[in-house]
Amino acid sequence: MGLLDNESIPRRKMILFFVIDTSGSMVGSKIGSVNDAIENVLPMIGEISDENPDAEINVAALEFSTETRWLYDEPKGAKDFIWQKVEADGLTSLGEACEELNKKLSRSGGFMPTSSGSGYFAPAIILLSDGGPTDNFEGGLKVLQGNSWYKSAIKIAIAIGDDADKDVLKQFTGSSEAVITVHNIDALKKMIRIIAITSSQIGSKSTSATDATKQEQVIDKVNEAAADVAGAETAAAPAPAGTDSYDEWD
Amino acid sequence: MIELKIGESVSLTNGAQAKIIKELGRGGQGIVYLVEVNGQNMALKWYFNNMGDWFYRNLEDNVTKGAPSEAFLWPEYLTTKQKGTYGYIMKLRPQGYHEFGQYLLARAKFKSFEAMVNAAMKICEGFKALHLSGLSYQDLNDGNFFIHPDTGDVLICDNDNVAPEGVSSGILGKARYMAPEVVTGKAMPSKQTDRYSLSVVLFLLFYANHPLEGARVLACPCMTEKYEKQFYGSEPIFIYDKVNDKNRPVRGVHNNVLRRWNAFPAILRETFTQEFSSKCLSDPNKRKLERQWQNVIQQIRDMLVVCPECKDETFVEDANTPKCMCCGKPFNIAGTLQINDRKVLLTPNTKVYVDMDNKPDIQVINVPGDRYPIQLRNITTNNWVVETPSGKIRSVEPNMSMPVKAGLKVNLTGAIKGVII
Repeated sequence: MGLLDNESIPRRKMILFFVIDTSGSMVGSKIGSVNDAIENVLPMIGEISDENPDAEINVAALEFSTETRWLYDEPKGAKDFIWQKVEADGLTSLGEACEELNKKLSRSGGFMPTSSGSGYFAPAIILLSDGGPTDNFEGGLKVLQGNSWYKSAIKIAIAIGDDADKDVLKQFTGSSEAVITVHNIDALKKMIRIIAITSSQIGSKSTSATDATKQEQVIDKVNEAAADVAGAETAAAPAPAGTDSYDEWD
Repeated sequence: MIELKIGESVSLTNGAQAKIIKELGRGGQGIVYLVEVNGQNMALKWYFNNMGDWFYRNLEDNVTKGAPSEAFLWPEYLTTKQKGTYGYIMKLRPQGYHEFGQYLLARAKFKSFEAMVNAAMKICEGFKALHLSGLSYQDLNDGNFFIHPDTGDVLICDNDNVAPEGVSSGILGKARYMAPEVVTGKAMPSKQTDRYSLSVVLFLLFYANHPLEGARVLACPCMTEKYEKQFYGSEPIFIYDKVNDKNRPVRGVHNNVLRRWNAFPAILRETFTQEFSSKCLSDPNKRKLERQWQNVIQQIRDMLVVCPECKDETFVEDANTPKCMCCGKPFNIAGTLQINDRKVLLTPNTKVYVDMDNKPDIQVINVPGDRYPIQLRNITTNNWVVETPSGKIRSVEPNMSMPVKAGLKVNLTGAIKGVII
């Protein structure tokens, strides 16, 4: 190879985690929209990754109902991630999901092996849920909260419908501003797209030299965008009760 | 923000209308549309969110001031404030240019070192023009430059955050590109912080690795905001720092700089080592001015020749014993053109740049069988005036050539005089 040729500049990896509630109550249009929205956003994330000299973006997806299951054994490049449709059935073992996350957010035996080239940027974790945990959530979360990768991660949650336990999601993400509630299918799809793209864009780049952390930047951008999405509710602008369009859930 | 639809019209502050043709792309700040304005196709950047009044007025000022040089893809018209946001109109980017990031990702490639060096020169020229206009960049990063792989021509884009020196646009740029004093929050962007960013961009351009990312940064498993503030702000260490070897490039990861560091001319190594020494990292006043960078780039351009053996390009640092960095063979320099204290080396097929623009002025050619087998062809549009050792005056018109014969004095374009030694 001549001196004029160069290899790609070494890039860190950023892993985008989708943590998806596939309990029985998600059955029907809710889980259908989640499948649809994620499948559609993956190519866009692939493009963000391709154009980015700072980092490449890999994706990992964990579904949790009565048990937990990773869609793939290891994170995959966004363009290579072939979405397998998840189905809804069972309970809501969010506590176990937290413990699974903790296991994989690690260098030894996890998704961040030391042997991997140039290291990582902090991951982004997007949690989607429509209900409340049916297992020992507090215990699982406590374990996860001791994990450094989790601590530095960008964390955003989408509460699907009014039955979602917003308090639990607030505990998971660290603030009520990081929880966006959606009241219809369209809002759900739009917010999945906005949140996945915003976290990827901000998470995979060198930080702006400001004081705002990446988490704060993502929260700001997502909340601003949510203001334009009919049916999306933020912590700052709570919707009046009973705004769910129940027909749509059928 | 409400996205614009095809066929929709947006009104501009000068009274004209811009009609949306289609979306060209979108970035972090907004969407870029192909629009038609007064029969011409142009680009409209339309912001996602209302960027505020200060930003609008700054754009207005920039539109009025005009571009610092033709290297800038500059806001030409402003839209009125509408639909809770606004945008600006600029020329379309011509075909064939690739984003600087694509070169870093090895997806775009320079055709020659000549093109790479031209790109370096053009970037410096752009910064110089910007600062002369009283403006500073503020948010420099790999997304701002579009470079043509064959000519090395550079277009500087994303000029939204360009603001007058000393005034802050509020955007601080990416830690990887910003001066340490900005990353740590001690200072706001300025001409001097721009110059730091310029050095980083030039280092990336030549060596395709980041000047502060070596073993020490690699050892960090998770690059968080806190570590970025440390590695690019409070404790930056150059990968080839003379004293501190904790951050050296790592074999297998930083292969680009490992291959090129010693192959490229010493003047480049020395300049970068100084620019990224702890003294210059911590003292903005010690950084090189654009003009000084251009002198360094001119020096390496003067020593870039075509190897007569393998026909690839090579830098020649020692004119007494030239050796090709590609084929390794020694060869002879056909002659040297002395311009003031510059010694421009000549071999057949080499192009010579007499001044600092990116238009070559002389083409060295082979004329086999001629009494003077190596000649200089005038590839400018002006006449050269040559004085022979015996005092005769000859004229060399465009496309004509003169011999490489010691003692000939030549008045080149722009009152630059040279003599063949």
